[in-house]
Amino acid sequence: MRAAVAQGALVVFGLVAVLVGTLLAFGLPVGPSLELIGQGAFGDKFGIARTAVKATPLLLTGLGIVVAWRARMYNIGGEGQFLAGALTGATIAKFALGVAPAALANVAILAGSVVGGALWATLAGWLSVRRGVDVVISTILLNFIAIEGLSWAVSGPLQEKKRQLPLTEALPDAAMLQRFDPQTDLHSGVFIAVVLAIAVYVFLFRTRVGFRLRVVGENERVARVNGMDADRIRLGAMALSGALCGLAGGVEYVGIAGQLSAKFSQNWGFLAIPVALLGALHPLAVIGSAAYFGALFAGSENLARFTPAGSTLVYVIQAVAVLAYVALRSWKARPPAGESE
Amino acid sequence: MSKRYGSVQALDRVSLSFAPGEVHAVLGENGAGKSTLVSVMAGFVVPDTGSVEVDGVPIPLGRPFDCKRLGIEMIHQHFTLVPTFSVRENLALAAMKPPVLRYDEGQLAAPALERARQLGWDVSPEARVEDMPVGAQQRVEILKALAADAPILLFDEPTAVLSPAEIEDLVRVIRALRDEGRIVILIAHKLSEVFKAADRISVLRRGKLVATAALAETNPTQVAEWMVGDLPIPAARVEESARGEGLSVQDLRVEGDRGEEAVRGVDLEVGRGEIVGIGGVDGNGQVELAEALAQVRHSLAGTLEWQGAPLGDLRIGYIPQDRQADGLALEMSVEENMLIAGQRKAELLTGPFLRKAAIRSWAEALIARFAIKVDRASDPVRGLSGGNQQKVVVSRTLEALPDLLIAVNPTRGLDLKAASFVHDQIRSAREGGAAVALFSTDLDELAELADRTLFMSRGELAEGGDAVAVVGGAA
Repeated sequence: MRAAVAQGALVVFGLVAVLVGTLLAFGLPVGPSLELIGQGAFGDKFGIARTAVKATPLLLTGLGIVVAWRARMYNIGGEGQFLAGALTGATIAKFALGVAPAALANVAILAGSVVGGALWATLAGWLSVRRGVDVVISTILLNFIAIEGLSWAVSGPLQEKKRQLPLTEALPDAAMLQRFDPQTDLHSGVFIAVVLAIAVYVFLFRTRVGFRLRVVGENERVARVNGMDADRIRLGAMALSGALCGLAGGVEYVGIAGQLSAKFSQNWGFLAIPVALLGALHPLAVIGSAAYFGALFAGSENLARFTPAGSTLVYVIQAVAVLAYVALRSWKARPPAGESE
Repeated sequence: MSKRYGSVQALDRVSLSFAPGEVHAVLGENGAGKSTLVSVMAGFVVPDTGSVEVDGVPIPLGRPFDCKRLGIEMIHQHFTLVPTFSVRENLALAAMKPPVLRYDEGQLAAPALERARQLGWDVSPEARVEDMPVGAQQRVEILKALAADAPILLFDEPTAVLSPAEIEDLVRVIRALRDEGRIVILIAHKLSEVFKAADRISVLRRGKLVATAALAETNPTQVAEWMVGDLPIPAARVEESARGEGLSVQDLRVEGDRGEEAVRGVDLEVGRGEIVGIGGVDGNGQVELAEALAQVRHSLAGTLEWQGAPLGDLRIGYIPQDRQADGLALEMSVEENMLIAGQRKAELLTGPFLRKAAIRSWAEALIARFAIKVDRASDPVRGLSGGNQQKVVVSRTLEALPDLLIAVNPTRGLDLKAASFVHDQIRSAREGGAAVALFSTDLDELAELADRTLFMSRGELAEGGDAVAVVGGAA
């Protein structure tokens, strides 16, 4: 326990160090900048809500990456699955609203986003398992299709009724996720994400199917030799991964945006990868890494009001943090000098 | 010298001297400290205390490149070749000296190739290393060391991957190198090979030097005693239990990894309560056959039956040849690796959920029963020694009480105690009524365990008669 606390403290120290180092490299005054970032991320209820709201899509997509990567399916397609989920949700919204009660429509949109994301990822999974297509390649390409698909949809079949702007019809408030405070954007999707993080943890580490998934990821041949259907497990991992990323899209849609545009995603599905990596592919640790990046987003928005570097800073910090983490891991994993036997 | 790794005293005040014109074998079980000893001499490891001197001059410890320049060459157990390079490129790479601005591949590789000719080795300089069989790769590894004309040669477990014929040839080469007046140091744990090649024997046990003797002054029994402290008592062959009809294989054909027909029409009967040994030189289709029997590899043609019916949900236990590639998830814990086979056991599950406490105590019971050396069941399996890793695979396989057990070289790389333990476990599986197919390239192992032995050659099985005849046939 004590060791875990010490390690946690070390991680926090490392993340702050990365932040400070980046500020220095940008030539920004460290003290005032940190104050601005802290203010923006945690300073008041607005800051905390911003942090939580930014962390939510990162957490959900991050969990999706964790599930796939644990099965050694290197899903780079979080973005595509995020958009596929949102698009499916918007399609359901177009037909369900006005027909079904708004609360039901809300649930249907979220369920649709889960299915949409899952199908988008399963396509890549199927190509990999049955046709031997590298998941990295196929998911990247499916990202492009989803991104262009979104552009087409918002100025085509899903465009708002007046057909003036490339946007979908805005959802009525009743079809949105519950908000807790009229002044902030904090919505119930935040709690959905945290509950799912715990659920993914239980799934991976406390169930037999999750155990098999990890065995397949650690050593596929061992899994096969012991009678596990590695192909099915991988396909399932991709489906679950896509479901989580798709749900992230759905939650962002019915939690924040209320309508889709071509710029609907702020690269959430791509940022999921560093989030998952920094969380060491552990669902509970990903809560922390999503919160860290969420706070950075919220804080650097505040910083951006005072320096032009602010808005890009968060991406730089994210990259530096992940590089530092990867370097640390490979340094730890180096073979000890003079291995015996 | 002394060297400590964590809680393990790898070397404990060991002093040894080696004479030119002599093959000096250093023997010991796994973890006895042999590899650490040579690694220090080759400059890869810095000892905690002690020194290494060549002709009275201390060598720079922990500086392998300088040791190489002083004429100390190590032939590594795990080859240090670039797989995608040709033989010539590998040899040139090894011969490169600073400054490396001038690079004449042909010139650099010439001395090594010349040595190959002298040794009567047919080495094709253009062949890519990864396409070559393992025995030929080892020749390249040795040539790298010989090119520099080093007076001191360290061989680390050179025979581990070789066939009997290749071992004979290696012994010839080692003798030739000795006759040129070099110091040849041979690390080994198989007695039979040491007695063929060595002039002098030193034995390490748990990091301590137990004895040094000229070969003529000792005998295998005594050396074995030095190695293990006490001789393992060979388990008496138990009364043959009621044998019964078991596995029946007809005209089995199996494809290898490169699309070749690796198993060409094999007929095989393995009865319950019987150990059928399958011997032969590595790479004659044994692994493919074993994988087909274990239902891991698809077979092209033929029938597999158990007591006249399809295999169905027969409990099959498979101990693969390569424990790291096919047996273990190295980053996972010991208990999780055991769970790989135990995950179907009802008492370890509540619905879809794993029962953590039950799994822990189940794994700890296995660890105790199989005497696996590990602090906690939650420790990663990567940290275990090779022998203990193998025990993890064997324990979880046998604990499941398989009807059909397929084991491929189950004791490769194990020390005597661990090997005889695994042998006992395989025997007790037989006593329990399992049908056992034992694939092994170790003829001693087949002679000791198998009720009858077949011989595999180019994808076909032949009756081997009794084991002694097989030994005679291979020699």
